[in-house]
Amino acid sequence: MTKQTIFSSLLALFLALQVSFSFAQNSEDWKQFRGPARSGISSESISDNKISDPAPELVWKKKIGCAFSEITVSEDKLYTMLSEKKDSTSGWEYTAAFDAKSGKELWRNKIDSIFIDRDDFGDGPRATPVIGEKYIFSFSSYGKLTAHSKTDGKQIWQVDFMAEFGSTLPRWGFSTSPVLVDGVLVIEAGGTEERAFVAFDQNTGKLLWAKGKGNSSYCSPLVAKIDGQKQIIFANGKTLSSYNSKGETLWTYTMKMNSPTAMPTLVDGNKIFISAIRSSGFIVVEVKNNQVTELLKAPTMKNDYSSTLYYDGHFYGFNVAALQCVSAETGEKKWTKRGFGKGSLILVGDKLLVLSDKGQMIQVKATPTAYTEQRRFQALIGKSWTAPSFVKGKVYMRNQTEMACYKFN
Amino acid sequence: MNKKIYQLIIVCLTLCLPSVVLAENVETIIAKHIKAHGGLEKWNKVETLKITGRFTGFSIEKDYMAYKTRTGEYYADLQLGKHKVIEAFDGKTGWTIDPWLELNYARRINSSEENVFAQKAEFTTPFFNYKEKGHQVEFVGKEKCEGLDVFVLKLTRNNGKIEKWYLDAKTFLEYKCESRWVDFTSELPSEVYFDDFRTVEGLVIPFFVERTFWQRDRVLEVKNIEINPDFDRNLIEMPKRKEIKKLAFMKGAWDVKIESVGRDGKWRTTGQTVSNFEFTSTNILQQKIKLEAMFPMNMTVSYTYNETSGKYKIALLDDLSSSFEVYEGDFADQNFIFHNLQEKASVSTQFTLNNTSNNEFILTKKDSKDQGKTWTNSQKFTYTRSK
Repeated sequence: MTKQTIFSSLLALFLALQVSFSFAQNSEDWKQFRGPARSGISSESISDNKISDPAPELVWKKKIGCAFSEITVSEDKLYTMLSEKKDSTSGWEYTAAFDAKSGKELWRNKIDSIFIDRDDFGDGPRATPVIGEKYIFSFSSYGKLTAHSKTDGKQIWQVDFMAEFGSTLPRWGFSTSPVLVDGVLVIEAGGTEERAFVAFDQNTGKLLWAKGKGNSSYCSPLVAKIDGQKQIIFANGKTLSSYNSKGETLWTYTMKMNSPTAMPTLVDGNKIFISAIRSSGFIVVEVKNNQVTELLKAPTMKNDYSSTLYYDGHFYGFNVAALQCVSAETGEKKWTKRGFGKGSLILVGDKLLVLSDKGQMIQVKATPTAYTEQRRFQALIGKSWTAPSFVKGKVYMRNQTEMACYKFN
Repeated sequence: MNKKIYQLIIVCLTLCLPSVVLAENVETIIAKHIKAHGGLEKWNKVETLKITGRFTGFSIEKDYMAYKTRTGEYYADLQLGKHKVIEAFDGKTGWTIDPWLELNYARRINSSEENVFAQKAEFTTPFFNYKEKGHQVEFVGKEKCEGLDVFVLKLTRNNGKIEKWYLDAKTFLEYKCESRWVDFTSELPSEVYFDDFRTVEGLVIPFFVERTFWQRDRVLEVKNIEINPDFDRNLIEMPKRKEIKKLAFMKGAWDVKIESVGRDGKWRTTGQTVSNFEFTSTNILQQKIKLEAMFPMNMTVSYTYNETSGKYKIALLDDLSSSFEVYEGDFADQNFIFHNLQEKASVSTQFTLNNTSNNEFILTKKDSKDQGKTWTNSQKFTYTRSK
């Protein structure tokens, strides 16, 4: 073996280690709704190398039962929810686990009756499960919060919100996604007698606290560390409210808009972007010493169910059905691009991965200068309203009929 | 003095000049816009367009078909989510079958919807022959719209509705329009965007049209446009409800022989009159008949179908007593029977309509004094089609 060969081999090994080290260092699991920090942002990156083929490598694709739940990822396993109909009026909702490398189903656990939408907008679960240390926590369309064993999906405990808290079934089913904060499982319940927001012992399902007024909405709570304190922030009706994991009310704020569906977005540590499609635009509020003041409002970026991202001083998200970049400082529209329908998006490094409502994935450079499309390919077939997830160089996505994994790096 | 007159003339000219310039701008821009679309001469040869493509609503993409005519007629057959929607417009008013409103039959559209259908009926934009149409156009200015230089024109339709059109300053083709739209029959603002302009037989037409209103997003992607295809104008006619169609045999003018039961229990002729039946709505067949038992009276009888009860409702109104009676009924074998038993009057009345042929039918009136347990013949009306 020549010196050059040895050197080349060592160099190749070194580079390979760098890549895997880089993944190990930067790669985060996608353990909850909207991923790490519930921001829709992955700390990984997508190469800027010239794209030879618009479609990245398809690792696997398979059929899946109807649901709107995102895919959560941890330790090479995927967790999501799905449903199966028995006949036209009945069936079941499940939480399921899949092997991330092959897509092979590992287990599924039946959790509730299937929600069948009377207008054919889509059946099955809406919420995204959250991955804890030992358990997976899922929330069915009919309001059953369930803890499952990670290894075999066996049900550990379950709480029926309609029975327990008097929660009213929303028109399109319970849709909010649970979150783990300081080991406590928190979720919006929409219960009566000031039990809008509830927290449980994740191991036993015992109710730890219940607070707040409001019916069940479609919005999931945001978690942010503000003023050195972890805050769980709910946007429900016209109220924005914050609690700590002990259930202490930190602050409340009356919004001018009503009933956002998209989860609010954290901006620069202590500011919150909120938007609702039936409003006149978006607002940004600042939280300081548990006081909330409106900083900015602008007549655009009206989010339906797709949450907006914040990156490098700008918002990227959907104004009804148009993708926009808007200055977070001034509210000025930087660019608008149509053609995605009511799509969704995540950010990987400085690249937006947009999934159109017809299953096209588009990679866009996250820059306010201009809309800069880098690649576009048909990723899924059919109506696609669920945002993708990104872990270890791979994007995982699903819609109401299929689930796929594409390798980007 | 001369100096003052001269100064006055200068002031007048200064005041008038901008409007002269602006008027020229409007006409110039519209002329260029029409030329960009292929020119008025080509468009004036278009009598009908047939558009086929894909329509997306609620992120569900399905087939779409529409006809539009020079005289402002419009017919569309599309799928909106899980429901098939039919729309039709004769240039002034129209109808729709829209199951999203929980009506499975054709209904007339309201004035807000008429404005929407008038927009849908346009071949392209309303600027073609806009003066003849009774529209007014003002030049608003040159602006930037999403980074694009545009000329903004304010168009006031002949119905008073205002639209704002944004024409690409380079191509003069439409980029965006803000207009009044409708969602579940209520008027609201909307924005529509145009893209993917293609030439079809010299006519430049947008093949991608996206409209947003409130939280809705609707996309039309045109696949094919036919110029001057055959168009069956019967499509524009409002269809009758299938249940009321069953009474269509009564439509027209009739000679009516009136008979009553004599003391001997036999029928005897007591009068002769005429009657006319017309469909006044998708769900109303209306009869006019003049009777003269003792006093002359004009009677209006309206036959309609009530979806909730699943029965026909018949309303009788006479201009003598101004009384209003309501009957309900249904078909039973070959007969159409209706009564007012639900009124629980001391004397109930039942009519049995027997359709004997296309040119004759018989209506028999019976009375009951025991809430319908027994019926006694009282009058018979024999309808013979008028020559």
